[in-house]
Amino acid sequence: MSTFHLEIVTPDNRPFSGEAERLLVRTTEGDVEILPGHIDYLATVGTGRAKITVDKKSRLAAISGGFVSVSGKKVSLVVTTFEYADEIDVNRAIAAKKHAEELIKQAKDATEEAAAKARLLRAMSRLAVASKK
Amino acid sequence: MAAATMNDIKARMKSVKNTMQITKAMELVATSKLRRAKERAENSRPYQTALFEAISDIRTYSATAESVFAEKRENPKTCYIVVAGDRGLAGGFNNNVFKLTALLEERIGGSSCYLPIGRKSLEHFSKPGNEIVSEEFSSLQSLGVSNALAIGKLVVTLFLEKKIDRVEIVYTNFVSILSQVPDHKTLLPFAPLDENAVENAKMQRPYEPVYEGKPEEMLASIVPDYLGGSIYIAVCESFASECGARRTAMNSANKNASEMIDNLTLRYNRARQAIITQEITEIVSGAEAL
Repeated sequence: MSTFHLEIVTPDNRPFSGEAERLLVRTTEGDVEILPGHIDYLATVGTGRAKITVDKKSRLAAISGGFVSVSGKKVSLVVTTFEYADEIDVNRAIAAKKHAEELIKQAKDATEEAAAKARLLRAMSRLAVASKK
Repeated sequence: MAAATMNDIKARMKSVKNTMQITKAMELVATSKLRRAKERAENSRPYQTALFEAISDIRTYSATAESVFAEKRENPKTCYIVVAGDRGLAGGFNNNVFKLTALLEERIGGSSCYLPIGRKSLEHFSKPGNEIVSEEFSSLQSLGVSNALAIGKLVVTLFLEKKIDRVEIVYTNFVSILSQVPDHKTLLPFAPLDENAVENAKMQRPYEPVYEGKPEEMLASIVPDYLGGSIYIAVCESFASECGARRTAMNSANKNASEMIDNLTLRYNRARQAIITQEITEIVSGAEAL
């Protein structure tokens, strides 16, 4: 099966770099699946999930904030966080969710509330992805 | 009298030895922290590069989108993000950054406001008459990716609201363990694109890539992350530099201390010998008198 070169980068590390068969991501405009031979492309992604298929095996991951780009034969997924579903610490995610809910209640202004809501969204997305592994 | 000098010398030797223990420990700690900070900087570089490439791409194909972030304004108000350390005892590390900031202010002109990172930086700029954008980031060591991204978002918002017209980051570049050089980067506005580079890029790819959404909106969502990534790298570089500078400072402190101990030991032995000689003389002259 044909493949493309996929790079996944975050500010902390490079969780994946190698050949992949397909990449499914939820962009801000909707789900997009990238297969080999895709036209040059750029889309921003929000908080959500991504599915990477390597050697006919797919892995689900929780991602947040960034973009996906295709340039020639190279595909990059550049996001602020990237966690494989089987590596998500469910207890921590639940704690993070509770903490975010507290923060929303305590928020003093709109920016604080927005930040807390984004936190809650990330925690919920991690939980949703973890439950589907 | 000679016995008193001996005790004095002994006390001084003890205190120098104690200081040396501390400086030695600090040197070791700095060395191990340095390695980790350097690794963090290297790990985050691909992220920043990827964002930079995406931004250049959008700017190449969409001239209208780029104007917002490349807008050069007259008589600018510059926001200086100054990255310094949390503690002293690192040679000229903190001062060099402040000196460079002052130099830049002179060169750029206009008015200034500051976003200090690191406790020493906050202390330095917290003077009456100085405008501080945020006091939140007072620890260099514990500044993580999420903080850096928050700073990126903050300055982009201020820039777009025209509350600031230019963003400069002043940090210390880690060249090697022995050399750390203060440096600065203009984060906003973007430098105009090189026309030859644009031509080249368009030759290689004669068609426009497919953008999901408006180029302006995509830039607006990517640029804060790019700035955050750049700030994070500068922070990691600075922290590695702080550790490097401290290591060097502590290393020379250690050398000085061991030199002092050598000298003091010599003086101590001389004093001891003098006492013994004196005692022998006293005994011999006492025996002769009998």
